[in-house]
Amino acid sequence: MSGDVEDDLVIEAVDLSFRYPGADVDTLRDVDLRIRRGDFVAVVGGNGSGKTTLCKTFNGLVPHYWSGEFAGAVHVDGVDTWESSVAALSSRVGYVYQDFQSQLVRATVRDEVAFGPVNFGLADHAERTREALERAGIAHLADRFVWQLSGGQAHLTALASVLALRPEVVVVDEPVAELDPAAAVEVYERLAQLNREHGVTVVTIEHHAEFIARYATSVLLMSDGAPVWHLPTAEALRRAGELADHGIPSPQVVEALGRIGVDGVPRSVAEAAALVRAAEGRGDVRRPGATPHGDPDAAVAADGRVVAAARGVGHGYRSVSGELQPVLDGLDLELHEGDRVALVGGNGAGKTTLMRLLAGIQVPRTGTVVLDGVDTRTERPHRLAERAAYLLQQPARMFLTASVREDVEMFPRSRDVPDVGPLVDRILDRVRLGAVADRDGRTLSGGQQRRATLAIGLAMRPALLLLDEPTASLDVAGRDDVVAMLAELAGDIACTVVATHDMHLVAEWATRVVVLDGGRVLADTTPRALFGDAAVLGRAHLVPPQVTQLGAQLGVHPLPLTVAELAAHYAHVPLGAPA
Amino acid sequence: MSVSRAQRDVLSVEWVKLELIRTAYATRGGLFAGMDPRAVVGWYALMALAPWFTHDLTTLACLFLVAAGAVVLARVGPLVLGLFVIGLVLELVYLGLAATLFGGDLTTVVALLEVTAKLGVLSLASLAAFVSLDPEKLSDALLALRFPPAVAFAVSYGYRMMPILVEEFATVMEGYRLRQLPPQRRGFLGRRVVVHWAVVAVKAFYPIFLNTARSVRTTVEALEARGFTFATVDPRGRAIRIGSLRLQPLDVAVLAVTAVLVAACYLAGAQWPLQRP
Repeated sequence: MSGDVEDDLVIEAVDLSFRYPGADVDTLRDVDLRIRRGDFVAVVGGNGSGKTTLCKTFNGLVPHYWSGEFAGAVHVDGVDTWESSVAALSSRVGYVYQDFQSQLVRATVRDEVAFGPVNFGLADHAERTREALERAGIAHLADRFVWQLSGGQAHLTALASVLALRPEVVVVDEPVAELDPAAAVEVYERLAQLNREHGVTVVTIEHHAEFIARYATSVLLMSDGAPVWHLPTAEALRRAGELADHGIPSPQVVEALGRIGVDGVPRSVAEAAALVRAAEGRGDVRRPGATPHGDPDAAVAADGRVVAAARGVGHGYRSVSGELQPVLDGLDLELHEGDRVALVGGNGAGKTTLMRLLAGIQVPRTGTVVLDGVDTRTERPHRLAERAAYLLQQPARMFLTASVREDVEMFPRSRDVPDVGPLVDRILDRVRLGAVADRDGRTLSGGQQRRATLAIGLAMRPALLLLDEPTASLDVAGRDDVVAMLAELAGDIACTVVATHDMHLVAEWATRVVVLDGGRVLADTTPRALFGDAAVLGRAHLVPPQVTQLGAQLGVHPLPLTVAELAAHYAHVPLGAPA
Repeated sequence: MSVSRAQRDVLSVEWVKLELIRTAYATRGGLFAGMDPRAVVGWYALMALAPWFTHDLTTLACLFLVAAGAVVLARVGPLVLGLFVIGLVLELVYLGLAATLFGGDLTTVVALLEVTAKLGVLSLASLAAFVSLDPEKLSDALLALRFPPAVAFAVSYGYRMMPILVEEFATVMEGYRLRQLPPQRRGFLGRRVVVHWAVVAVKAFYPIFLNTARSVRTTVEALEARGFTFATVDPRGRAIRIGSLRLQPLDVAVLAVTAVLVAACYLAGAQWPLQRP
């Protein structure tokens, strides 16, 4: 870091170390850090690298709320946090949690936003509330109850509630983890606007390189409780290897250009396309005509027996005011043996409802669902659970007992399946959780929790496995793990259905995509065909993976789904060779 | 046993959750919902205390009618009203049984009926008042009546947690329902099934508490950062909160009419006394 004296620092940490009470090691070690006023910093680093603890030193939660061993000094906006208090610092630093739903404590959005200013007895509380609602772009939601909000709206409410104290710095902990992609973009756009128009310094904890590339101006890499470096974004992204070592793989466009052999660190798909075209123009790379293979999807088309079918299915829920809100409306769908189905669509499109109906947990209001040859209306849910397993979006909600092993055992043991012990051991080995089988599932990492729920599902030995957002709120390593494991399961499960917003998962794993929109099936096709269909993408608000977008901009045919597929179209021209 | 399942809109967990929200936040409206919360608390105090100064059954019957009228005006929802009626009916059955089994006669029933009627008036008044006060208003009223800020906040936050707890409970119970086979033989009067679900309901507390405890930690930190503790020592926050409370003509009118009705009940009792012998 340069020691430029003209820098207007808003956060400065000197020799900062911190150890939680009762812990054996320091969570933060000798941190020296300077953040300029008006910066947009992305804090990155693996699990346990101290990112969240570092950010909690900014608003005084460390050391005033978490009173461990604190050494060194942190100055925020010129104030020494050790001398100050959490309450006093809240007018300088606002903090939005990863678990932002728990941050909302009042019933309506307006009360929630006014909570801080009213507590501090500020005479202009109404004015501040109005201003914060406006800056977060949620003025129209002011009178809603907080439980009526979508995830994105709730996040913006949490943001507005800290903005009402007019902080200099806003810290946002992993906004992308719990939000769908469209909502995550909305949150980032708001943060960028605050940063640009109101000079608010933004610090986000983030491990999605695409968001870092698009929004951050500098990147702080943390490892083992200390900063490794703090660099401008372009420079940081150039150190792709180092980032990958800390669990932050490069954005796909950066990786793709590296594989093709084009220099440069593009921050968007358009930039990447321009760089490739320029390289082609110079003759550095060339595209040797069409690929010899035919349709790459031809081999994977499955047409086995029907595992589950929905016929004319309609469903809906009652709202607080009592009227029926339709979710599904005359939906028809057949799932075949061998299918790997991705169920996609915006929030509220009915993905979860459809999965619960297919699993027979609920029955439709109209139409029929046939699961493995049985009309779900004619059989009890616990009997249908022997044919279909539905895994919830939040894994912790599936842990009913004090150990992973007991949770996996519960289903087969209560049904007197012979040799439960060896069966459970086999399944736990399969998901690589043998070593932690006796721990409470809630104490495991995000990726391990997912795998534990997979084990619970496998022990049910279903014909149909339904997973709700299995890659949500996972870091990249955990995500790749789950995707690989899903691919391995093909032999055991006749048909797997995944509801997801994660288009990388769709591209890498699915053989069939079902797009839900307005309570019906908008499209039922292959991932490649979906990503080539601009009309459907636009209507369902889907954004293909970067490498697919790049392929489309460069006119590559068939559309690439992975970096390897794109790279196969290009050949690097060694220096001095004729183009 | 043939099965025929259908989506139910009442008496399901989802319905209970919606009813709790409707009840807690007075979404049905009603007479008292538009009043100043302090006036509602005052009205409640009047109605809740009135039955305890008499032994006269005529007075009590009249008060019961007044309270029942208030429940209608407050638009109390079916869930809490249903629970009240079930409670009252069970109480009457118990009274009859107790009186006959323990060798009592009609006078015993009448004596017990008096207490039941008093409690009935109290319960109806509570229904009418608390269904109409959303937690924010109740919390403001408590602040205005000089309760500690932590108590006032607990009321508001308790309501906020309620739908979350109901949902956690539903999820955990659903997990048990799907993954643990209920007993195959029902036993006498479905004894085995009842025992099974009782055991599950107790076991369900373990995951519910652990799952909610996590989010509560975030809540506590966020409260601290947004001046909650500060407001408990600094009076300005309280001044702003209760500054918006205004007594309206409606409040005065409702209190006056209620006072007149209570007086009328006592007059009726004096006119047509019905005392136990």
